[in-house]
Amino acid sequence: MALLRPRDVQQPVLARLLDNERALAAVLLAPAVLILAVFIAYPFVMGVWLSLSSTSVGNPGRFVGLQNFLKAWNDSIFQTTFQNTFVYTFWATIFKLALGMWLALLLNRHFRGKRFVRAAMLLPFIIPTVLSTFAWRWMFDPTFSVLNWLLYRTGLIVTKLPFLSDGTWALWCAIVVNTWRGMPFFAITLLAGLQTINPDLQEAASLDGANAWQRFWHVTWPLLKPVTIVVVVFSIIQTFSDFQLIYVLTGGGPANSTHLLATYAYQIGVATGLLGEGAAISLFMFPVLLAVVWIQLRYLRRLEGA
Amino acid sequence: MDTLDAEKTPIPAVDRRTFIKVSGAVGLAAAAGGLEGILAAKRAPAYAQGTKLHIVRWNDFIPEADVELRRQAPEASKALGAEVTFEFINANDLQPRITAAIQSGSGADIIQMLWNWPHLYAGGIVDLSDVAEPIGKAQGGFYDVFNSAAKVGGKWLAVPHSIVGNAIAYRRSWHAEIGVTAFPKTWDEWRQVGKKLKAKGRPVGQALGHSFADPPTFAYPLLWDFGGLETDKSGKKVVINSKGAVESVKFMQAFWKDACDEGGLAWDDTNNNRAFHAGELSATLNGASIYIVAKRQKDKIKDEKGEPMVQDIEHEALLPAGPAGRFSLYYPLQHAVMKYSKNQKPAKDFLKWLHQKENFEKWFEANGAYSVGSTKVWEEHALWSKVDKPLRIFRQAARNTLMLGHAGPATAKATESYTKYVVVDMFARAVQGMKAEDAVRWAEGELKKIYEG
Amino acid sequence: MVIERHWKKWVYFYIPLTLFIIGTLFPFYWMLITAVRPDAELYRSWRAVNNTPFWTLQPTLAHVQDLLARTTFPRWLWNTFFIAIVSTGISLACGLLAGYALARLRFPMAGLLGTSIFVTYLVPPTLLFIPLADIVRNFHLGNTPWALILTYPTFLIPFCTWLLMGYFKTIPKELEECARIDGASRFGAMVRIIFPIAVPGILSAGIFAFTLSWNEFIYALIFLSSPERKTVPVGVVSELIRGDIYFWGQLMAGALLGSVPVAFIYSFFVEHYVAGLTGSVKG
Repeated sequence: MALLRPRDVQQPVLARLLDNERALAAVLLAPAVLILAVFIAYPFVMGVWLSLSSTSVGNPGRFVGLQNFLKAWNDSIFQTTFQNTFVYTFWATIFKLALGMWLALLLNRHFRGKRFVRAAMLLPFIIPTVLSTFAWRWMFDPTFSVLNWLLYRTGLIVTKLPFLSDGTWALWCAIVVNTWRGMPFFAITLLAGLQTINPDLQEAASLDGANAWQRFWHVTWPLLKPVTIVVVVFSIIQTFSDFQLIYVLTGGGPANSTHLLATYAYQIGVATGLLGEGAAISLFMFPVLLAVVWIQLRYLRRLEGA
Repeated sequence: MDTLDAEKTPIPAVDRRTFIKVSGAVGLAAAAGGLEGILAAKRAPAYAQGTKLHIVRWNDFIPEADVELRRQAPEASKALGAEVTFEFINANDLQPRITAAIQSGSGADIIQMLWNWPHLYAGGIVDLSDVAEPIGKAQGGFYDVFNSAAKVGGKWLAVPHSIVGNAIAYRRSWHAEIGVTAFPKTWDEWRQVGKKLKAKGRPVGQALGHSFADPPTFAYPLLWDFGGLETDKSGKKVVINSKGAVESVKFMQAFWKDACDEGGLAWDDTNNNRAFHAGELSATLNGASIYIVAKRQKDKIKDEKGEPMVQDIEHEALLPAGPAGRFSLYYPLQHAVMKYSKNQKPAKDFLKWLHQKENFEKWFEANGAYSVGSTKVWEEHALWSKVDKPLRIFRQAARNTLMLGHAGPATAKATESYTKYVVVDMFARAVQGMKAEDAVRWAEGELKKIYEG
Repeated sequence: MVIERHWKKWVYFYIPLTLFIIGTLFPFYWMLITAVRPDAELYRSWRAVNNTPFWTLQPTLAHVQDLLARTTFPRWLWNTFFIAIVSTGISLACGLLAGYALARLRFPMAGLLGTSIFVTYLVPPTLLFIPLADIVRNFHLGNTPWALILTYPTFLIPFCTWLLMGYFKTIPKELEECARIDGASRFGAMVRIIFPIAVPGILSAGIFAFTLSWNEFIYALIFLSSPERKTVPVGVVSELIRGDIYFWGQLMAGALLGSVPVAFIYSFFVEHYVAGLTGSVKG
């Protein structure tokens, strides 16, 4: 757009072309489509091909049909992983939504230092995940955990909690860290949504004798729903394909109890060199995400239509 | 006093000068033209102007070792007439780099390999027999472990570089307090000793999480010591569901409960170092880094009496023995030249240069007994009479180590089992409450898919 | 406004907000305290008597100095910044144009194209990085910032397009039509009328895209090799973790220094961010 000065009188041909809706659309879409075609379409097709082949590092494989998918499906570690991914995504999203909503409602008020607090709340979202997860790992450290120290000193525990050394605990710890990281995004975005809601509506409901919860449920929530769905869609995509957090926090251990699809695909594809199988495991994510997104977008359209 | 392997076979008094003279002579004798000829002629070979050699290695546990390599880079560049650059990355990130490099056919010329990776990446690396054979011959032969780790189909696909040994580091005074002056020789004895120590809040620390060194180097020998094996000799038949394997898992359950810090399930390779230095552990299986760091940071790492902890650290060479014997697993390191590299010739010459006695020696010394050489001649190096006594046990560490996949060959299948942590997780599942028989059956199912699938 | 009693305000507002602030910021405090804690104090176990995890009496800058001396941290910071800015710029430009076309223009297969752009956002990077390495090689981009600048848009463009498309839909069509009646071309109306109104939306998409590139790990790990070309996350992890030894102090100092500059910039933008999202998510 910088190339084309809008003084289009001097360039009648170009101007006429750009006034044609289809031509303009083609011009405007070209850069995005070009980049995506080169850097995603080809790798994606390659990825799908990998998943259908017996390729391993350095050995071009042959076509094996759905064998990689079947092998994964029958693999007990994969089954745990698949389940983990859902548990992780479900609870992390619920927590992020609930806490993010709560925080947004708090931040929507007027108080001193509001600007500062709002900016500070974004910090977990800004810091590179790899690095913040290292900080969390240090806090969960089996020997040096500050959390254990705190609970021990306050007399709440006598023996240390197995934050990352027990499979169930470790998965929940990962959920906590993910929530910590993603909650600010929810809060700020929902706050944005809240600010578009006319305070008079609240006032009116209040005069009608509605309590705080009723006001939220009947006035705020319906108006906030479209925003919420958008945020949730993004969060689910990010959480479902999460890699860095688990990779740093637990590496999938103990005993493969915290693997997510992305980390397990990485372990099989990269550490074991079975690229075909790794690609197949990655691809399990795709239809699931597609379904989730499709359902939510439909719901969103219906809300808009209503 | 402890009976250490190193004491049983006292170090011959070879001083450094004699060593260099002897080995230098051997080196020259082995000179088959190539680099030695070039060096003798004191002129750079005729590589294309601006040839660059890119070498990717892990960043060494001992930072001084990397400093030494960086220092050597210009020397090597001069000798080879090609610009040598080292890149050091986190050990865990080597594999993604290798994978992407091989698949895209671009990247570094030489990449470091751990374990038996040459089997895994056989399709992407070149035959280095012409480099490895003379080095082995000149330096007293490579340790056996490299035959299984780096030799694929009779060819050296990587040049053996070094071995990181491991040993049990333990607190001398704590063991003495409960009347133990020699470290337990069998697993059962260790369990008894560990039980007493854990009762005093001084457990044994063992990582059982997912990381590349400590968990497998403990789990595999434990399995072998009780007679358990992944496969038979052919490597094609899974035999893990055996009495020996069940026994080893049952032992581990008891050992874990009685003697170990139960946080170990979440540990990676770093946790036991920190816990040991914090005075939390009575003993742990590790490389020499616990000792070396405690020594370098004498004023920071102290025991409960406020004395430097290093004075109280002792090493036991091997894990204890079980009914079937006493085995160990150390990880060997090699360098491979990538097939896509356009600089294979200079890359090979570089490896020859790197393994020349006087060059390797400087790295070896900077390493301070953490890594041992890949050839037997380095056992005779004067370094061993200079380093502290607890470190000397690493001198012959490499002699006894087996490789992943034992008793079968160390194929890519063995790597798959290793990277899926099947053996480690068999123990990890059991100590988390699964019945020993079930844990072994689980491992059997997983291994069958890998080895027999 | 709804009037509240004093204690109620405490229970429903101050206490929860304080808890949120503590929960959110504690890890940062923890990084700070770890970064300035002398090594000797660092490794004291959770039940050690002399353990004072929340403060230190001998704060030291040794770790920060060490970080700056041992590594090329300022370089990494600059690299990350440069890569994030340029790739965000490219993605915003593409997303802006594509978003406008998808929101405002009628052409065949508009719906399909919009959906496909969005769907590319769903392709997992763990699947992509190996084939991408191939492309990076073909274009001779290996070990240059361009390897990342051109691959990051793969996940940034879908996001920006989608967000801005939503934003454009909220801008009344009449504005454009008025301009057209006044003689402006379609393109002119877009550039001079619509884009200025969309500035808050552009800002929020930009901020989000910037954060995503700032965060990226796996492509940066694979495509860059010289130590001085690395980005902050990759550089810190590969230089400060050595086998079984972590340099915790330096690691945390790096984490902190790697996030504070961005936080500082964000604090200026946060109000716009909120405003921008408001528009776009309504669509």
